[in-house]
Order: sequence, then C-alpha cells, then structure tokens
Amino acid sequence: MRKALILYLFFHLSCFAQNRELLYNFTSIPQSSLVNPGADVSYKYYFGFPVLSGVSANIGSSGFSAYDLFSDNGVDFNQKVRDVINKSSSKDRVITNQQLEIFSGGFRVGGKESRSYISFGLYQEFDFFMFVPKDLALLALNGNRDYIGKYFNLGDLNMKAEVLSVFHVGFNKKLNDRFVFGGRAKIYSSGANATSTKNSGYIYTGEEAGTPNLYNQVISSDLELRTSGIAKFTKDEYEGNIVSDIAHNTFFNGSLGLGIDAGITYNIKDNLQLTASVIDLGFVKQTKDIETLTYKGSYRYNGANPDFLDFNDPENVFDEFDQAIPRDTLYNKYTTWRPTKIYTSIQYSFGESRPDDECNCRGTVNTYYKNAVGLQLFAMSAPREPLVALTAFYRRNIFRKLDVKATYTFDTFSNTNIGLGLAGTIGPVNIYALVNNVLEYKDISKASSAAFQLGINFVFQDKDD
Amino acid sequence: MRSNSLSKISSILFSVFLLFSCSSDLNFDQVNDFKIEPVFVANLAYFNIPANRLVDDGGNNITYDVRDFDVFKEKFFTERLKKAEFNFEVENNIDRDFVLNMLLLNDQDQILETLSFAVPSYKGTPNVIKYPTEVFENARLDLLKQTQKIGFVVVIAAGPPLNSQSKGNLRLRSSATAYLVVE
Repeated sequence: MRKALILYLFFHLSCFAQNRELLYNFTSIPQSSLVNPGADVSYKYYFGFPVLSGVSANIGSSGFSAYDLFSDNGVDFNQKVRDVINKSSSKDRVITNQQLEIFSGGFRVGGKESRSYISFGLYQEFDFFMFVPKDLALLALNGNRDYIGKYFNLGDLNMKAEVLSVFHVGFNKKLNDRFVFGGRAKIYSSGANATSTKNSGYIYTGEEAGTPNLYNQVISSDLELRTSGIAKFTKDEYEGNIVSDIAHNTFFNGSLGLGIDAGITYNIKDNLQLTASVIDLGFVKQTKDIETLTYKGSYRYNGANPDFLDFNDPENVFDEFDQAIPRDTLYNKYTTWRPTKIYTSIQYSFGESRPDDECNCRGTVNTYYKNAVGLQLFAMSAPREPLVALTAFYRRNIFRKLDVKATYTFDTFSNTNIGLGLAGTIGPVNIYALVNNVLEYKDISKASSAAFQLGINFVFQDKDD
Repeated sequence: MRSNSLSKISSILFSVFLLFSCSSDLNFDQVNDFKIEPVFVANLAYFNIPANRLVDDGGNNITYDVRDFDVFKEKFFTERLKKAEFNFEVENNIDRDFVLNMLLLNDQDQILETLSFAVPSYKGTPNVIKYPTEVFENARLDLLKQTQKIGFVVVIAAGPPLNSQSKGNLRLRSSATAYLVVE
C-alpha cells in the first residue's frame, strides 16, 4: 500500500520536461532569474520562504500516461502493460524533474540609483531521463519464439538519473533602459548518479538454411552502466537508510561540478523585447563511490554438441557465456554534463496603462503595458537528440500586482499543452503558482506530461517607489 | 483594494490547487497482478557424424557421448519454467538404420528419461525426419529439471559395413521451447 501511495503521489503531483515556459520571463517572480539570469528584475531585496520558495516537479512520457497503466477500468493489468509497450516506441521518452529551493535571496548592490543585483540560493534537483527500452520489454514480455529473425536492440537501453544540490550566485545588471545582462555561477554537488547512455548490441535468434543448428543465436553486447554514490547501497553488508544517506551525500559529500547560466534582455523598442538565456552549462566530475559495470563481448549459443570422440570435454554454458561477455567492474572517475537548457523569446507589449490603483503624488508617470504576447523557444540537451519546444504566450496584468500568464506549447509530449500561471504580490509577500497542461488536469492521470511549480517569496521595494 | 485583491488572489490560487485533485481512479495495487509469460526457443543439441567415423563390420554397434547440460542450475529459470517442449529433426544419408537415444541424466549419472528415435536408412532420396514434439509438464517436467547431462547413444543396426571410405552423414538438429511464468 505504501508503495502504491508513493507511486500515486509521483504520478499525481509531478508531471513534463524541464521546460519552464511559464516561469520564463515572468519577471514578477524572483525565481524567473533562474531561467534567465539576465531577466529584467527590480527589487531592493528579496528572500524566498525557506523550502517553500520554489517547489517544482514535472514528468513527461511521450508514449503513455499513468491512466494507460493504472486505470481502474477492469482491463487486466498485464494486458495494459502489453498495450503500453506495443504502442510505445524506442524513441519515446520518460522524463522527470523535480526541484526544491532550500533558500534563495537577492539584493540590489550600489546606491538607490543602481540597477545591479546579486542573487544566491541553494536548491536540490532530481533528474531522470529514459528512453522506453521497447525491444527488451518485448523480449521479456513475449520471449523470442515469435521474433525469429529479429535483432533485439540493446541500444534501446538508455537512461540517466541524478540527485544533486546546486549552490549558486548570480549577478544581474541593467546597463540602460534597453539592455539587461546577467550571469550565474553554480557549484553542483551530486549525491547519486547513474548513467547508461552509450549502449549497443543485439540479441538475435535466426533460422538460416544450411547451418548445422536449428537456430542461429547470438548475443552481441556493449553495455555500460556508470554509477556514482550508489555502489555501496548494492552491497549485502549495507545497513542504513538509502534515502537519508543519499540526501546527506547530496548536500555534504557529493561529487562536485561547476556550471554557469547566462542571459540577456534587450528592448528593441519600448514594446518589443528580445530575451535569451543558457542554463546549466556545466559538468559534474563524478568522483565519490564510483562503480562502472560493463558487459562487452559476443556469444553464440549452439546447444550440446556431442562429437562421439571424447567423453571428457565438459561444457558449461554459463561459464562460456561469462567468458564471452564478462561482467567487468571499473572504478574510473567520469564526467557527466548537465542537461543544458537554452531559452529565447520575443515579446510584443500593448495596452499602455498608468498605475491607477496607487496614488502617484510625485508626478512621475510610470506607464506600463497591461498585455504582452510572444513566442518562446526552448531546447535542452538530451541523449540521442535535444528536446525542443515552442511556446506562444499571453501575459496580462490584472491589477498592478497581479499578473497572469497563459502558454500554449508544442513539444514531444503534447500538441495541446496549455499552461496557466499566476503571480501576485500582497505587501512584501509574493506568491506564485504555475500549472502546465491544464486541459489534462480535468483528469491528470491521462496527461502524458504535466508540471507544476509554486512558491512564496518576500520581496521588498524601495518605500517610495 | 488590498483586501479585495488579497481575496481574489487567494481564491484563484485555491482553485488552481483544486485542479490537482482531479484524477481518474488509479489503482496501483494492480502491480501485484503483474505476470508475464514469455516463450523462449533455443538450440538444444546437434551433431553431424560422417559415415566414415562410424567404422564397423556390419553388425550391431553402439556409439556414445555425453555432454553437460547445466541450464537447470540457473534457479531463476528453473523455478519459473512451467512447460518445456523438445523438437528433434534427424537427417540420415547413410545406408544403415539407426536408433538415436537421448538420455537425460542427473548429477549422479542416473538415467531420468530416455528419448528414443528410430532413423530409417538412406534410400537415395532426401531423408529428413521431424519427430513429434516431446512435451514436458508436471511430473515429467520435474524430472527434466533434474537433468544435468545429456547422453547420446547412436545404435547402428546391422547392414552393409562402414569404413573410412563410406559416404553420407547422420545429422541431428534439435531445439527446446521454454514456457516461463514470471510474476
């Protein structure tokens, strides 16, 4: 039951890939600088509500949804597994990303007229990426009898997972009314990493005329699984709590890495804005508790072959197999690249307005635009090929301190992904909630992808602003 | 104005949260019903004996060999094996009758079961015989699972003598089909 509950929460709460189309350039949320350090922000100082300033999770599966597997619709579970595997392809991806901000803050540096900011924070992140290993699933499900002549592709095994904490310090400067730039340095501390993305080989059973055997059976294998921070949990003598040990390693004893974020905002005209950013351009040098397993070799299975000459040549299929495709354990350090994200957007604003909900006694008129529309492009590095998404958005300022953003996103997972985001500020309290794939929220279990993010910050402006 | 916007914000945020609560009934306990029944085929045994290796004087003779057969040492496989089938195919191009006996032996070299195949002599036309499938279930399967070695006995019936100049071959090709249940 507990397992079921965890699974349920996993599918229920979490849900898309790392595209944060709602957060991007939503500058009334301080966390928007995490997806563009060159965002056009403005505050005297802010800090995030500890642990609650940025909670996000997303899961995406391009082939199937939780509903397909777990719906209580009377269909036999094994039939559903079969249907899901049959309809998915080895190009389908399952992606999960979860982030939790532990603390964050930022402040303006220089005098009151300065428009330079320093921000900092620590967040924890979990990434999981996998292609559906369709061929191996078929082999496990059905066996090889009905697949004579088929090469089951071991290259379908392609996954990576990582838990890490990220400490970051960023700098943001508004050079003039037209141009803002920013950068951020990150120190990664990876508590656990598993990477198996460069596999190849096949399992083959064929019937070829003129051969001495009924079947031509070959396993050709070039498999490699690299792990860091995991090996000790797999040992029999391990007696501990895996979750708390991984958490401890993530924050205090991880493999270290470095990365940068960079971004710009450029106002081509008053109401036409271009932005771009690159996030997580970095690496982790995996050094803690390294274990790499490889299975490399080729094995042909023939069956027993009596020669009627010599009784004493023992055959041992398993020994032969182990010699042909040995399991090797290596302890080499390795480097993993963070999934690098690139965002860019163009935004057109209209509906000029004056602040009417606040007294403006000083006579300076700060007009602003109530509406903005635009396009955003997102790309993320991933095994085999990058993930790409295109988003159209509309942002509206409902009150002076309440903004709403709606997005329509095309990506691998969905062509009808509508997202809604709200950010409001009451006094110094800034609250935001971003929910993606709202159409599917009618029945979240049927969604092939979904994401949410929410958080609370305290933002302080100059008193007389 | 402030309290008004406060209530609006909170009500909108609240409704956003409510959206999280809509989901079809999902039943994750179904994982416990997980059961797959793959069927694997594999080579079982084969040989190709040239007639000139079966040198004999024309009387009854026996040729024998034994091979290790250790797949049942693999517990994962053996425990999940619910049914097995063996298929045999013999081609004889030698002008002699044969009987091929396959002996399933346990680790004490005791015979668990003998599979016997009569092979008629070569009459100048292709002579491939496919024997009926041997099916192993229940008690017969339990015996099979004790198999550690396979003995091959070729009994040569009386007929024209064979010498180093004799032509033709006796060929065996065979396969096993394993029906597994994994749950």
